[in-house]
Amino acid sequence: MDCPACKGVVVVVEYQRIELDYCTKCYGVWFDAGELSLLAERLDLRGAALDVNQIAALPEKKAAEKARGCPICRKKMKKVTLGSAPEVLVDVCTRGDGLWFDGGEVGQVLGQLKDKGAAADEQGRVIDFLGEVFHVRG
Amino acid sequence: MWEQIRSNQTRTLVLVVAMGLLLLLVGYFLGEAIFGSGIGGLVVAILIWVVMNLFAYFQGDSMILAISRARKISPDDHPRLYNVVEEMKIASGLPKIPDIYIIDDPSPNAFAVGRDPSRASVAITSGLLERLNRDELQGVMAHEISHIKNRDVLLMTFCSVLLGTIVILAWFGSRMMLFGGARGGRRSSGGGGGYATLIIVAVAILLMILAPIAAQLIYYAISRKREYLADASGALYTRYPEGLASALEKIAGSTQELKTANQAFAPMYIINPFRSKGRAASDLTSTHPPISERVRILRSMAGGASLAAYEKAYQEVRGSGRGVIPPSALVGETPVAARKAEAVPAEPGKVERARETSDLLWKYSNYGLVNCECGTKLRVPPKLRGSSIRCPHCGRVNPLSSRP
Amino acid sequence: MGIGIIVLIVVLAVLFLVIGFIWMTYNGLVRLRNQVKNAWAQIDVQLKRRHDLIPNLMETVKGYMKHERETLEAVTSARNLAQKAIGTGVGAQAKAEGELSSALSRLLAVVENYPDLKANQNFMALQEELTSTENKISFSRQYYNDSVLTYNNKTQMVPSNIIAGMFGFKTGEFFEVTAAAEREAPKVSFG
Ligand SMILES: [Zn+2]
Ligand SMILES: [Zn+2]
Ligand SMILES: [Zn+2]
Repeated sequence: MDCPACKGVVVVVEYQRIELDYCTKCYGVWFDAGELSLLAERLDLRGAALDVNQIAALPEKKAAEKARGCPICRKKMKKVTLGSAPEVLVDVCTRGDGLWFDGGEVGQVLGQLKDKGAAADEQGRVIDFLGEVFHVRG
Repeated sequence: MWEQIRSNQTRTLVLVVAMGLLLLLVGYFLGEAIFGSGIGGLVVAILIWVVMNLFAYFQGDSMILAISRARKISPDDHPRLYNVVEEMKIASGLPKIPDIYIIDDPSPNAFAVGRDPSRASVAITSGLLERLNRDELQGVMAHEISHIKNRDVLLMTFCSVLLGTIVILAWFGSRMMLFGGARGGRRSSGGGGGYATLIIVAVAILLMILAPIAAQLIYYAISRKREYLADASGALYTRYPEGLASALEKIAGSTQELKTANQAFAPMYIINPFRSKGRAASDLTSTHPPISERVRILRSMAGGASLAAYEKAYQEVRGSGRGVIPPSALVGETPVAARKAEAVPAEPGKVERARETSDLLWKYSNYGLVNCECGTKLRVPPKLRGSSIRCPHCGRVNPLSSRP
Repeated sequence: MGIGIIVLIVVLAVLFLVIGFIWMTYNGLVRLRNQVKNAWAQIDVQLKRRHDLIPNLMETVKGYMKHERETLEAVTSARNLAQKAIGTGVGAQAKAEGELSSALSRLLAVVENYPDLKANQNFMALQEELTSTENKISFSRQYYNDSVLTYNNKTQMVPSNIIAGMFGFKTGEFFEVTAAAEREAPKVSFG
């Protein structure tokens, strides 16, 4: 698959048996729906807040950021925000294929991670996981 | 007893013959209406049908596998899958183990192709493979191998060719009649023969509209019946109806549609690849019975695994005296007890199964593997340039040497 | 004269039917007998496969299970006995293989106490092979018994039993497992 943001080469990062797709050029991260449910199960999070279809049903967020096409189905993705303490803008496939975190968004997650303890909600814990995997930029 | 399941299927036979007659009718009346010769129409219809049949018979399986972008696996690629298929080959008495294919698709589904039991293949999507535990996988493969053993693949290919021919003829017929090719249109002088022509044209138009729909309905009816039969034989082979029931339940939980499905081959899948959300439960226009009903029947077998137990459960769940199993298959059958549920030792969990499956797909796509010292694994596509890659977790720079 | 021809035709027709019936029944019986033979051969293949897997299993396991000598020896000796029982008839072989099955399941039950062994890649692969071989044995036995049942029905039921008697088709023997560990597993009942 190609990076939905910059068409760069995407490598697969397997961390603690969870696979994430990672753009080597813009550092964006694709979180596949199947992998997200595996992570949710392992973290023992059973709420609907992590279901990609539920996330896709969230209200569209008006943002200046450019629209991106889903790397799986090529359809235009929807912009929504995840989490509460650090609110992160992500792109979600309306068909439920997965979530896209822009390189800048992942960086923002990393920045905020240092200031606070464990995230309160389920989406927050996924964002924390992302921060843990991509510990170092570059 | 299972030898008889494919012979003596009067109801299926009646339906197939009905479809064949429909084809002949369409051919005759279209021929009569378009170029004034019913026999000519018949010849054209049969010719198209024969050519399509020959193609489906000799090339059908490789075509559907190619369309699905299925990849053949070797025993070492996925020992558990290979073993499960071999187990079901043994239980069903198939002469040869089918070729096993995997399809890179998150939507859970599986199908069987092949014109006869000694030249058959089964295919499963990566989405289904990673979702199922061993017992469930066995249930799904038993169902697919039942399709092979009961010769449903051949029957349904034959039927879809019939259906396809009828649809093609009706489509061409309607185009030709619309754009002035019709004999009725050319004839301006009304006479005694005009009446008969008018009737023929009317019948032809009616057939063009109704025949594809009727053929479609007949086709669905045959397909649904074969699904029940494959479930019944699957339960008999595994002696464990719960495996298939629980697999079907898992499949039902997904709403993803298969990317590469082909309408003509829909009956070959374990569940209809085209199911849309919110469709009526017992629909006449579906190739498959509703999953919930299939699960309920399998769970109502009351500790039995025989065809008779399935028949009884079928009648119970559907609340009617009519069965699905041909009576001849039930003669001489002894009661068969289902295996009790037991833990399979050392079975990989959900995450392990997902990794097993994705590792296989990465291998097929020629991805290189970089094991970083921090425990993070990087899988690198062949098109990545450069001689090293930096681990995003720990920052170490790893060389890209061991690439295929 | 007309009557003579009619009688002749009737006699010929009856003769034709009788010969046809004998022909088809005979072929059916032969086909079923071959199916039983093939099914038996399939059991043999799987049993041999299990025998071959055991030395490998012992090699992997013994480093981890130093305190389970008895359990390990039981498996090895059951395997040797089962190997000797090859060719001594369906009943005797079934019994020896049953003993091997129960020795193996005792071993696999003990494995639960050795998490290191359970995590060993080699052992995990072996265990899948062993699980599957056990399944294949029981599925080939199932198919064999089903084939014997169909064959026996045909040799005993009217009218095919006449042909079976004429040409000396004997009934087949079921493969029944009698070892303690497998007795609780539900099987086909031949009532
Ligand atoms: Zn990028
Ligand atoms: Zn998508
Ligand atoms: Zn690292």
